[in-house]
Amino acid sequence: MNEPDCNPNQETFVINLGPQHPATHGVLRVKLTMDGEYIVHAEPVLGYIHRMHEKMGENRTWAQFLPNTARLDYLGALSYNHGYVQVVERAAGIEVPERAEYIRVITVELNRIASHLLWYGAFVLDLGGFTPLLYAFDDREHVLDLLESVTGARLTFCYFRFGGVYNDIDEPFITGTRAFIKRLRSRLPDYHNLVTKNIIMIKRLKEVGPISAEMCRRYGATGPVLRGSGVCYDVRKNEPYSVYPELDFDIPVYSECDSMARYMVRMDEIDQCLRIIEQALDKLPDGPVMAEKAPKIIKPPVGDYYGAVEAARGTFGIRVVSDGTNTPYRMKLRSPTFSNLSLFGEASRGMLLADALALMGSLDLVIPEIDR
Amino acid sequence: MSGYFCELYSGTKSLFVGLGITFRYMLKPVVTLQYPHESLPMSARFRGHIELIGDEETGAPKCVVCGMCQKGCPSNCISLAGEKPEGGKGKVLTSYILDFTKCSLCGQCVESCKFGAIRFSKDYNLAGPRKEAYIFDLLKRLEEKGR
Amino acid sequence: MSMLCETLKEDFLALAPLALVDTDYKAKGYQLDITVAPAQVVEAATIMNRRGYTLEAVTGVDWLASAGPKPAKKAAPAEGEEEPVEAPGAPVAEQMEVVYDYTNTGQELCRVVVRCRIPRANPELPTVSGVFSGANWHERETHDFFGIRFLGHPDLSPLLLPEDADFHPLLKDFRV
Repeated sequence: MNEPDCNPNQETFVINLGPQHPATHGVLRVKLTMDGEYIVHAEPVLGYIHRMHEKMGENRTWAQFLPNTARLDYLGALSYNHGYVQVVERAAGIEVPERAEYIRVITVELNRIASHLLWYGAFVLDLGGFTPLLYAFDDREHVLDLLESVTGARLTFCYFRFGGVYNDIDEPFITGTRAFIKRLRSRLPDYHNLVTKNIIMIKRLKEVGPISAEMCRRYGATGPVLRGSGVCYDVRKNEPYSVYPELDFDIPVYSECDSMARYMVRMDEIDQCLRIIEQALDKLPDGPVMAEKAPKIIKPPVGDYYGAVEAARGTFGIRVVSDGTNTPYRMKLRSPTFSNLSLFGEASRGMLLADALALMGSLDLVIPEIDR
Repeated sequence: MSGYFCELYSGTKSLFVGLGITFRYMLKPVVTLQYPHESLPMSARFRGHIELIGDEETGAPKCVVCGMCQKGCPSNCISLAGEKPEGGKGKVLTSYILDFTKCSLCGQCVESCKFGAIRFSKDYNLAGPRKEAYIFDLLKRLEEKGR
Repeated sequence: MSMLCETLKEDFLALAPLALVDTDYKAKGYQLDITVAPAQVVEAATIMNRRGYTLEAVTGVDWLASAGPKPAKKAAPAEGEEEPVEAPGAPVAEQMEVVYDYTNTGQELCRVVVRCRIPRANPELPTVSGVFSGANWHERETHDFFGIRFLGHPDLSPLLLPEDADFHPLLKDFRV
């Protein structure tokens, strides 16, 4: 271990960050070995909200597992819904009507915006700024209202079905979404003036918490963490699914590798989400929202199947093994923040505690998703 | 040295820009509501706990006790019973218990019902002192509603 | 089949895996399906590391009563030809499968699945955490859920389960 030179007697002490700490956003505990204000060794301790979703998957039918997917990452539930229905559709060979795919993309991107807005508020809160949270929640409330009007839920959405979506979107939703796009576009400059250009934020984020592209690769980090390290990787572009290939959008990439870069990636992503939604609304075709031939009882053929989607926090992968019955044989949920957090120990070594919290905030952790 | 003053200037300016935004929003109308004195309208698709739908004429539940909702439920929250009246045809619902402590409002029951006998309620003001307060007797609720 | 997949195939054929199958990406979600012997997993990881791949996940599958799905045959045996004899190391019951999902973050897409079968009675295989640091947690999780011991792993204490857990919930004979 690299101990700073100023401590000849090798005196360190251990403090627990969490499991009940506002900066850990849930029940994450980090065992920190400290040399004064500097971190010598950080070890995240997981499992406080472990619910064994994978075993639950083996005990219920394919359709009955749907609500579980919303409870992994409760801030971006629809991406997880999407990943799961997609892999089962792949396994069972179900074709999804185009309109349903467009609706999926619209709602998933709205959900991504809601997730990023909450992250924005909570991240700045971690760094000691309270006001931006209120602006972010104001806008997020509009997204949640829109999503509630189609899905019936505000957080744990369970909207997608094998072969389509639960119900169609209506005219008020479309006009509401267009109004929201306009609204958020007019508010984003305020966000940047309030936070991005703020001298305190810049001082706390610039060149803090460097994560190199090579470290991301070794740990399997994905999403904004990877894109903040200069790697242009997004499942929506690299492994196109749904109707993303028909939409024109950019992948924001910053190569500074610091917390600021990860912050900027997410802020730019909000802008890109708005672009995607706008185009999807323009292109929204008519037609059914549920495949006519979708079987009521799903029995995918024997074999194993993999599917990945770009969730708000990175690549959500799901591996299902079917033995040909109406219950999955094995369900592996690969959550992005699990991998993203695993690099925290290495990345935070030698950092000031306060800087490490900025780094942790920039990883955008959602604990129920790490623990599953 | 000039870099220091430059930074001092731009840093101070950035703080005032932020304060300016806060000031602008201070003059704008309030966006929050004074709940519970005021509340927003419910969205039409809001998913509260499920409730039975009564027949429009008789008020009796439309449920035919097929048990599909019970079978579809991932968390086994629904237990229902029915009996066959003498001379009548089909079963009549005698009890329909929803264990709301386990329900995740996924809607598998509503979707699996072929007879349109259950729907989501708009009930969201739920608070109770005990766990037992969330074991809902939906049949009784329907009767009370009909009265 | 992309260039990258071809290169990887050559790399792996040099390793002499138990099976190497091109899979239909549309149907399965990955392009290469490679089965290796337990002693080869580290070498497989080294190949993937050399090609700039990242390890997405490590997981197990418990094949308690059945041998599990047969890997898709490359081509149906022509008529008159004999059914290929079961190769040594072919899946049987009472085994555990360890699955490594590899992906690359470059522009070319070639998802690789590396599998390995180990006896259920003595589930042991070498760790790849020396090659991919991220494997550390994935292997710990797999040890939690399946009781698979990764030899040489720095710390196999429970990660997601309670710290005194002595059970492995994803085993098929574990009753809830």
